[in-house]
Amino acid sequence: MIELQGLTKRYGETRVVDDISLTVEQGEFCVLIGPSGCGKSTTLKMINRLIAHSEGKILLGGEDITTLPPERLRRRIGYAIQSIGLFPHWRVADNIATVPRLLKWPASRIAERVDELLALFQLDDEGLHDKYPHQLSGGQAQRVGVARALAADPDVLLMDEPFGAVDPLTRDTLQAELARVHRQTGKTIVFVTHDMDEALRLASRVALLNAGQLVQYDRPAELLVAPANDFVRDFIGRADLGLKLLSRRRVEAYCRPAQRTRNNAIASAPITWQVDADDRPMALLGGRLGESDIARTVVNTEWTATPEMSMKEALSRMVWFRVTALPVLDGEGRLLGEVTMSGVMGHRS
Amino acid sequence: MNVGALSRPPSSRRALLISLSALLIALVVGMEQLAPLFRALFPDQDPAMYQRESFLDLTLAHLALVLVSSLISVSVGVAAGLFVTRPAGREFEPLVSTLAAIGQTFPPAAVLAIVVPVAGFGFVPTLVALVLYGLLPVVQNTVAGLGTVPSQMLEAARGNGMNAWQILWHIELPLAMRVIIAGVRVSVIINIGTATIGSTVGAKTLGTPIIAGLVGNNLPYVIQGAVLVGLLAIVTDLAFERLEQRFSFGDSRAAS
Repeated sequence: MIELQGLTKRYGETRVVDDISLTVEQGEFCVLIGPSGCGKSTTLKMINRLIAHSEGKILLGGEDITTLPPERLRRRIGYAIQSIGLFPHWRVADNIATVPRLLKWPASRIAERVDELLALFQLDDEGLHDKYPHQLSGGQAQRVGVARALAADPDVLLMDEPFGAVDPLTRDTLQAELARVHRQTGKTIVFVTHDMDEALRLASRVALLNAGQLVQYDRPAELLVAPANDFVRDFIGRADLGLKLLSRRRVEAYCRPAQRTRNNAIASAPITWQVDADDRPMALLGGRLGESDIARTVVNTEWTATPEMSMKEALSRMVWFRVTALPVLDGEGRLLGEVTMSGVMGHRS
Repeated sequence: MNVGALSRPPSSRRALLISLSALLIALVVGMEQLAPLFRALFPDQDPAMYQRESFLDLTLAHLALVLVSSLISVSVGVAAGLFVTRPAGREFEPLVSTLAAIGQTFPPAAVLAIVVPVAGFGFVPTLVALVLYGLLPVVQNTVAGLGTVPSQMLEAARGNGMNAWQILWHIELPLAMRVIIAGVRVSVIINIGTATIGSTVGAKTLGTPIIAGLVGNNLPYVIQGAVLVGLLAIVTDLAFERLEQRFSFGDSRAAS
């Protein structure tokens, strides 16, 4: 648990962080977000004393961080930044072992821990153990950076725009992986970004900062549904608020029972799925935009949905393929139910 | 530097280093064997072979002078470079850079002229001149090399719990080493050449036959001394080049 109490950082007369108080509970994924110069990065760096705070208090597990020597404190807190932070003259294994070595773990325990982390980040099967950072792809280097931060098994992980320098596709993978690692390890994470989509995707709580002050500290859904003021609304992006909300929600919450038929006879319901003997959808009867109600559309694997898919993506597929419904499939491709264009409005969760 | 030579595969650079080293040693030990050649080339010169001291003695004395002066330049230069890049010494950076620059703008001959009345003739004044002259590249490259370590990397080191000493030893110095060694290389090469003028104040160096040849209008003497000094500088330079490559770690800076 991390508690910031009246945290302030002054440079001369300027207050770059101004009286911020917030509590990050154990296991929480807290994202600090805001425009450039809002003090989010400064706030993060005050937690591990890379920057000294001017006023207020920071408690880590109830303990004032200034009671520990800074090096000891930092070895207890994971710290990850962009991949430039990897040491170029150290192999991947040495980079990951940074903190355990500083803590003077026995060599066998360090080796074990490195292998464990390489496995956790799915880096073990690529022979990366002995490679140098310049031999890694951007995504791999970033994973090594996060693995290094986790090496000594800290309770708290601080991440300063770790995915800022990778391409969108890799970032997407890394975000999914970080979310998985967070679920698996239950670490408390404080994460700085300026990317609202990243924040909404990862956060369990979002702290929105502006000009050094905390504007709103809330669950992502609350931030979207009940923004505290116009600044929040503008920052999230007024224009696609609805889509952002949908990006937080999964298909399973919108999935409803589908009408099935074994032949291509038109059923009574406006949308009917023709399925094969294994309950796999073969065609959609009706429900195609711009066509008559009796049109038969062969199901294409690209316009199907899974329960884990975000509603934003499902909606996007409906629009792109000009259908008013998507079949929701399980892992074997069997029909679980359907999501429909009109159903997007009726949220049940 | 010759770009074509650099792009050659390392194995041929190694062969070049080995063969030139062999040539250097052969000439140092066996220069006297070339007496007939020099007599044939310079029939009017007598003697056509410098024989007051052996070339082996001259070379060893020359090397000793360069070694001692370089050791002092490097220790003082690296220490000064480290000092001015630490928080405590940062404000001294302009002062130290200026002093080092003055050391190099001051002609070594002028240093000799000033030091000889104080320290007498021979080894010591030459040493002083060489140390002052060799300081600048070491200081400059130490500061520059430490400056090339990205600040984010230092922050990562700090954020992972390294103290200032660990950051210097494990991160900054290894990453700056290539540039620092490049500075040492320049310093040593300069000193190999400059040491020859120590002979004007009585220091025994490979400059001794050169000076004797210039004074006595004896071209073979000059050639014999100059060829050895030149070869010595080239061999040393190639050896440093190999040393530098050990610290390249494949980062972009090493590709140049």
